[in-house]
Amino acid sequence: MDSLLKLILLPLLAAGLSLLKLNPALSRGGVSLIFWSQFAYLIYLLEPVLLGKIKVLTLVPGIAADKIGALFALLTTLVVATAMTHACFFFQNESQAEPGSEEHVRIFYFSASLLLMAMTFVCFCDNLGYLWIAIEGTTLASAALVFHSRTKHSLEATWKYLIICSVGIAFALFGTILIFASSQQAVDAVGTLEISGLMAMAPKLNYSLLRLGFVFCLLGYGTKAGIFPLHSWLPDAHSEAPAPGSAMLSGGLLNCALLAIFRLSQIVLSAGHENLALKLPLVMGVLSVLAASLFLVRQSGIKRLWAYSSIENVGIILCAIGLNAPALFFLLALNHSLAKTAIFLLSGNIIQVCGSKQIHDIKGVLANSPVWAMMLAVSAFAVTGAPPFGAFVSEWGLLALCADKGYWWVVASLLMALALSFVVVSYHVSRCIWGTPAPTYKTLKQLPGAFFPALLIISTLLAGTTALTQKLVLLP
Amino acid sequence: MNLDLIELVSIAAALSAILMAGSTHLSMNIALYSLQTFLLSLATYSLAGLRAESHFIWVALAIVVLKALGIPLFLHWIMVKIGVNSDPGTTLAPPLAMHCCVLLMGLSYFLAQSLPSSSLEGHSWANATAAISLLLSGLILMLTRRIALSQIIGFLVIENGIYLFALTQTSGMPLVVEMGVLLDVLVGVMISGLLVFRIQRSFEHIDVTQLTELRD
Repeated sequence: MDSLLKLILLPLLAAGLSLLKLNPALSRGGVSLIFWSQFAYLIYLLEPVLLGKIKVLTLVPGIAADKIGALFALLTTLVVATAMTHACFFFQNESQAEPGSEEHVRIFYFSASLLLMAMTFVCFCDNLGYLWIAIEGTTLASAALVFHSRTKHSLEATWKYLIICSVGIAFALFGTILIFASSQQAVDAVGTLEISGLMAMAPKLNYSLLRLGFVFCLLGYGTKAGIFPLHSWLPDAHSEAPAPGSAMLSGGLLNCALLAIFRLSQIVLSAGHENLALKLPLVMGVLSVLAASLFLVRQSGIKRLWAYSSIENVGIILCAIGLNAPALFFLLALNHSLAKTAIFLLSGNIIQVCGSKQIHDIKGVLANSPVWAMMLAVSAFAVTGAPPFGAFVSEWGLLALCADKGYWWVVASLLMALALSFVVVSYHVSRCIWGTPAPTYKTLKQLPGAFFPALLIISTLLAGTTALTQKLVLLP
Repeated sequence: MNLDLIELVSIAAALSAILMAGSTHLSMNIALYSLQTFLLSLATYSLAGLRAESHFIWVALAIVVLKALGIPLFLHWIMVKIGVNSDPGTTLAPPLAMHCCVLLMGLSYFLAQSLPSSSLEGHSWANATAAISLLLSGLILMLTRRIALSQIIGFLVIENGIYLFALTQTSGMPLVVEMGVLLDVLVGVMISGLLVFRIQRSFEHIDVTQLTELRD
C-alpha cells in the first residue's frame, strides 16, 4: 500500500491544491510545479527499470513497472506537466477575454490531476481488471476537460465522448472477462487476471475464449484510442476541449489506450497465435491511417485537423504493435506526443488571437504573431513526419520493418496516406499563416506562449537527429 | 429442462430487460432496472453459498445498496426534476424493439451453446443465455432511444449483462476488481446525470438524437 501511495501522492496533492480558493496564479503555478516534481520523482523511482538493472519493479501485487510501462508513464507525465504549465499562460488570456471563469479553471486543474493519476495507473497495471478500471477512470476524469467551456458544442462533445467511450470500454470489460474465463478453462487452474501470469500460462489458455476476448478488448480499447471506424467521438472532443486539454487527450490518453492494446496483443502472442495478435492490429492500423488521411482533406476547424492527424498516428502506432516492435511502438508514440502537444498548444494560442477555430477565419498569423506562425509551421512538419524530426526517423523505421517482413501492401498504403496528409496539412497551415490579419485580431505576448511548444519541438528534433533515444529505448 | 434457482433468477432478469425495451415510460424502466439488479444480487447471494465464496455476500450487498437502490433513486430524482417521463423511441418503435430483443434472446441461446463447458457451479447454458441476452437488450435500448436518461439506463443494462456473465461463467472477479468496476459505474452515472441537467438547461430538451451540431 505504501508504495502505491508514493505513486499518487503528488497528483493527489495537486488535486487538493487546485480546489483551494487561492490566488489563481499561485495555485496554478503550484500545481504545475507539483506535476514537474512528479516527473522528476518518477525518473528517480523508475531509474533501475529504465537502465535495465531490474526487469520489473513490483510496487504492489497487480501494479508493477516494466520498461515500456515506465517509459510511457514518463512520457504521459511530461505531456501533462508541459500542457498544464502552458495552461497558466493560456487561462490568463482566457480570463481576460471572459472574466469570472475561475471556478471552471479550478475544476479543469482538478480533473487534470485526477487524469494524470489514472493514466499513471494505466502504465503500471499488471492486471487486466485494474487496467480496465484505470482506463474507465481516465474517461471519467477527462470528461470535465472536454466540458470546460460550458457551451452547447462542448456539451454535445462531452456527452458523445462519455457515452461512446463508456460503451466501448464496456465491451473491453466483456473481453477481459472472456480472457479471465479462458484462463480458468486450463486444467487445474484457478484463473488469473495478472498480465504476467496470463503470459506465463498463455499456451494453456482456452483459445476460442481468448480469441473472442481479444477481439472484444481490441474493439473496446480501440474505441478509446480512436481507431477507424470507432473514432466518431475523437474529433469533437479534441476540438471542443481547451488547448491544454486537447494536448493531454491526444498526447497522453491515446497512448494509454494503445498501451492496453499492446499488453493484450503480447498475451495472445505468447499463447502462440501470431495471426490473431499481430495481423488484426496491423489491418486496423492501416485502415485508420488511410481513412484519417482522407478525412484530413475536408476539415474546416484547425483543431479538428490535428484530431484527425492523431487518428492517423494512432493507426501508425497500431501498425508498430502489429509488427511486434515494442521499441518502435514507444518511439512513434513519443514523437507523436511531443509534436502533437506542441501543435495543440500553439493552435490554442492562435485561436485566442483570432477568436475562431475555423481555418477560413484564421489568416495572416505570420504578420500578427510571427513567432507562433513560424513554430506552427515547424511543428506541422514535425507532426506529419518530415525530416529531420523524430517522427520521420520512427516512421522510416516502421516502413523499413514492414518491407523487411514483406508487407508491401502496408508500405504502399502508409506511404500514400502519409504523403497525402503531408500535402493537406501543409496546405491548411499555409492558408493560416499567409494573408492579411483581420482587424479584430488581438495581440498577445509571444514569448511566454512559445516557450513550452519550443521545448517540445526541440525534444522531438533531438529524438530525430541523435541516437540518444534509440539507445534509451532499445529494450534489453 | 429443470432450472435451478439461479437460472430462474437470471432468466427473469433477462426478461425484465426485454420488457424495458418495450416500455416507453422512464419510471417503468427505472423500476424494472432496479428489479433486474435486485435479481442479480439474489443470484450472487445464492452462488456465495454454493461456491463457498464469502466475498460474494459483500458484492451482493453492495449491488443492492448502490445499484438496485442508489442509482434508480438518483435517476428517478433527475427524471422528476426535468419532468420528462416518456421516450417515444427513434427508428425502431418500442414494441418492435421488444420483439427484436426476443429474437436476440434466441440468438443468445445459440451463442451460449458454443461456449466451452466447465464444471463450475452456476456455469450453465441458461445463465450464459441470460447474460448475453441482457447485454444485447441493453445495446438495443441504447440504439433505439432518444432521451439521454434512457441511454444511461441502456448502458447500465449492458453492464448488468457483463456482470452476470462474469458471475456465472468465471469463478467471479476478484473483490478489488469488482469494487473498482462498481465505483467507475457509479461515478460514470453521476457525471452523466449531471450532464443531463446541463443538456436540459442549454437545449431545453434531453433528446440526444438532436445533438448533431458538431460534424466535419
